[in-house]
Amino acid sequence: MNNREKEEYLREYEQLKKKGKPFFPYAIMKDSVMFLVVAAVLITMSLVLGAEMGPKADPTTTTYTPRPEWYFFFLFELLRVLKPPALVPIATVGIPTICMVLLLALPFYDRGAERIPWKRPIATITGILIIIAMAKLTLLGASAGSPSEIELATKPQYEQGKAIVAESGCLACHAIGENGAHGGLGPDLTEIGSKIPRSAIKQSVEIGPGIMPSFRGLGEEDLNAVADYLASLN
Amino acid sequence: MKSPFPSRTKKADQAGNGAAPDENGAVVEEPKPSRKEKLSGHKDLAVHHGGEAGKDVAGWVDSRTNATGIFTAMMSRHVPKGTNWFYTLGSATMFIFAMQAITGVILSMYYTPSATQAYASITHLTNDVFLGEFVRGLHKWGASLMIILIFLHMARTFFFGAYKYPRELNWVIGVVLLILTMVMGLTGYLLPFDQRSFWATIVANNITASGPVVGPYLADFLRAGPDFSATTLSRFYALHMLVVPGLIGGLIGAHLFLVVKLGTTAPPWVRAARPKGAQRSEAVVAGVAVADSDEVSVSSNGVVANGSVEAVAEEADQAKSKTEAPEAAAGPEVTEAESAPEEPEAPEEPEAPADDEETTS
Ligand code: HEC
Ligand code: HEM
Repeated sequence: MNNREKEEYLREYEQLKKKGKPFFPYAIMKDSVMFLVVAAVLITMSLVLGAEMGPKADPTTTTYTPRPEWYFFFLFELLRVLKPPALVPIATVGIPTICMVLLLALPFYDRGAERIPWKRPIATITGILIIIAMAKLTLLGASAGSPSEIELATKPQYEQGKAIVAESGCLACHAIGENGAHGGLGPDLTEIGSKIPRSAIKQSVEIGPGIMPSFRGLGEEDLNAVADYLASLN
Repeated sequence: MKSPFPSRTKKADQAGNGAAPDENGAVVEEPKPSRKEKLSGHKDLAVHHGGEAGKDVAGWVDSRTNATGIFTAMMSRHVPKGTNWFYTLGSATMFIFAMQAITGVILSMYYTPSATQAYASITHLTNDVFLGEFVRGLHKWGASLMIILIFLHMARTFFFGAYKYPRELNWVIGVVLLILTMVMGLTGYLLPFDQRSFWATIVANNITASGPVVGPYLADFLRAGPDFSATTLSRFYALHMLVVPGLIGGLIGAHLFLVVKLGTTAPPWVRAARPKGAQRSEAVVAGVAVADSDEVSVSSNGVVANGSVEAVAEEADQAKSKTEAPEAAAGPEVTEAESAPEEPEAPEEPEAPADDEETTS
């Protein structure tokens, strides 16, 4: 916007304001109706959906699902899309940071005088695409359940390790056979035994490389069972 | 929506009429004396009813702060023509933030921010305390609603181009508010200290740690050390109930200050420019009643296409006014009527007699 456009805008706005109505009671009325609607929705949600609690946090247990609140699903899913380890920092911090900076600086690079949505198609279409992308990612995140079952057949001596893996939430990030998160945060573990040695597997589970949490809390015995089971997958 | 304050409307109308038929913009919207009247009114009360200490105090405070004056100015300030339901999203966000503050304070009365007791204190609140689960539910779902509303509000300001001159700074403040609101969601999620929240927070923290340069330090700070510990919880608690809400409250104040100072935008498709001023004053003389634009748009087409419908409706009304008051149908009016309503339902709006921006300005 150059100075002339700015002045023009202010003049036009002055007139529009003159033709407008006093905040009280007109705007206040609408705001109050909106308050009532929001309050009604909120109270209904609270009464119907309640506020249930999961089991107590326990750093040593094996069952959990690392699922964020739904409004972080889109970030979580972004991680899944860009999962190669080299890209993880980009996905986790790089992209959100860039998005935030772009959002913050919006008024400073979009300086055109035009405000009507259909007369500035680039901004409008970009906005709509971003909304669609976020909605899609959120839905994907919501449908990625918390599986706790592995259907892949295994030898009896590895059943214990398989059970621990199944109920430890590994499948929230990893895929094993048909189960788990395909294209999830972590790599597919279906053939992990043929990719890295047992010691490396055990170390991974114990340390929790990258964003994977550490499972040291499982204890030596369970860790060994998990490592045995995963090493048998090939 | 019929005006619940007819007398007030009329007054505003008259004021508008008196100052109206000019284009040089020297109109004072609200008659100045009213504020002084109010002030002197307080004094009178104080003198005549010495027993009413309340009024005295009000007058005392007022004479020092001009609270009434500021309040009146805020209330009687004009919102521009075409302001529609989308403009309620910001104040709805504020409303839900206030709700979060209230329910949050109630929750904090029962909550113990320690790794060993947090879970038990929330279980106790949920199961034993009267209405405990209800208040928790309000706070929990309020968080989700606030996120939804803040995104809707942001979308509104984005698509309306409301971030452009002169409101750039308000957009910047808004983005910071958005980030802080997300931080509230993140820090609050850990507090119940159940399995879900605990492990999700660990993952979130690991995500933070994977960031470049500052990532590991930030994660260490949040965790309060290299390991997830009891201090982590109290750190999140302090952030969640003191630091971040304080920042949000302050920034909302700045945000609203700018909203009042700069005024809210009109929907971008609403135009004021009408070079046929003289002609319209004829319509005033003819005493033609034209429908309240607000009523027309809301009742005829619901919320969505408010502004544009409004413009159409106005032109339609002018067309109608032509038939009702033939002397108003001079030359330029005809051209306006030609470009008039594609939507047939607009002229059929029955609620006619109300104030009209068209005729008064
Ligand atoms: C929060 C998501 C998440 C969870 C839950 C998770 N992991 Fe991982 N895991 C990852 C990610 C991400 C990687 C890759 C890390 C890297 O290399 O940066 C990984 C890597 C691994 C590796 C090494 C794979 C390789 O190719 O190097 C193994 C083995 C592994 N995980 C096993 C497990 C097991 C067993 C569990 C459950 C007890 C589990 N993971 C739970 C995210 C997760
Ligand atoms: C806690 C969160 C927020 C609160 C309480 C809040 C409140 C408000 C209110 C009450 C208004 C008046 C007009 C309206 O209601 O639409 C407003 C206007 C505005 N807000 Fe917000 N807001 C918040 C967050 C945001 C965010 C996230 C953005 C954008 C990134 C934003 C950008 C704006 C802009 C640009 C305006 C001026 C709009 C105009 O003049 O038409 N706000 N805000």
